Amino acid sequence: MSERRPYVRPMPRDWWAHRPFRHYTIRELSGVTIAIYAAVLLSGLVALLRGPEAWDAWRGWLASPASLVLHGALLIAMLWHVRTWFQILPKTMPKLILGGTPVPQRTITLVGTSVAVICSSALVAFVLWRPF
Amino acid sequence: MPHAPEKRSNAPVFWLLFGAGGTLSALFGVGLILVTGFLAPQGIGISADALSYENALAFTQNGLGKAVIWAVISLFFWHAAERFYLTLKDMHVFSDTGRRLLTYGVAAVVTVATAGLLLAIGFNQTM
Repeated sequence: MSERRPYVRPMPRDWWAHRPFRHYTIRELSGVTIAIYAAVLLSGLVALLRGPEAWDAWRGWLASPASLVLHGALLIAMLWHVRTWFQILPKTMPKLILGGTPVPQRTITLVGTSVAVICSSALVAFVLWRPF
Repeated sequence: MPHAPEKRSNAPVFWLLFGAGGTLSALFGVGLILVTGFLAPQGIGISADALSYENALAFTQNGLGKAVIWAVISLFFWHAAERFYLTLKDMHVFSDTGRRLLTYGVAAVVTVATAGLLLAIGFNQTM
């Protein structure tokens, strides 16, 4: 009687910490910074509910160097998260065929990234040119 | 014999939250951080008065303002929760229930808490 002994490719438990997967792991963890940013906004909402003094304290912290450093880090993480999001997009969506030819992945990434740049720029422009 | 109703998966509801959060952060995340992290608190291109208590309260008491705040905070948490849950799964840390509580559980609590805060702040009576 023969025993079936298929080859099982060894997979170390910490595969996610090594190349080529490390890049993907760091990319995924950059998503956590998006929750940190949302938590900053949530703390502002709590301050707003507590009243003018709590709100001004929160505002004061938001203008502090510590907040600037935090938001600088959040901005870098967000930029990278968005860039990689649109690099992954053509790999996860169904193949897009226009006029009988498949649209290259590069084009989808470029169009997606461009739409993101336009949306974020439009938001900043709206805030800057809105009469307060 | 009548058929028992087909058991439907609740996964698509969560995919909607993840997809909406991912798309919202991808399209507007950078702009939002620039506005709330740099331009408004530093008064760059915006009057320093823009973040006054009165203005913040007026924005938050507006129905549209409430919708924007609720969507941004809760959907950003759902997006981060999905990315973090899958990474924790890859890393084999915690039990699956623990991972779900830490990620989706937190996002669910934040979603409800944000709605509660927005309701507690109330609506503008003059509108």
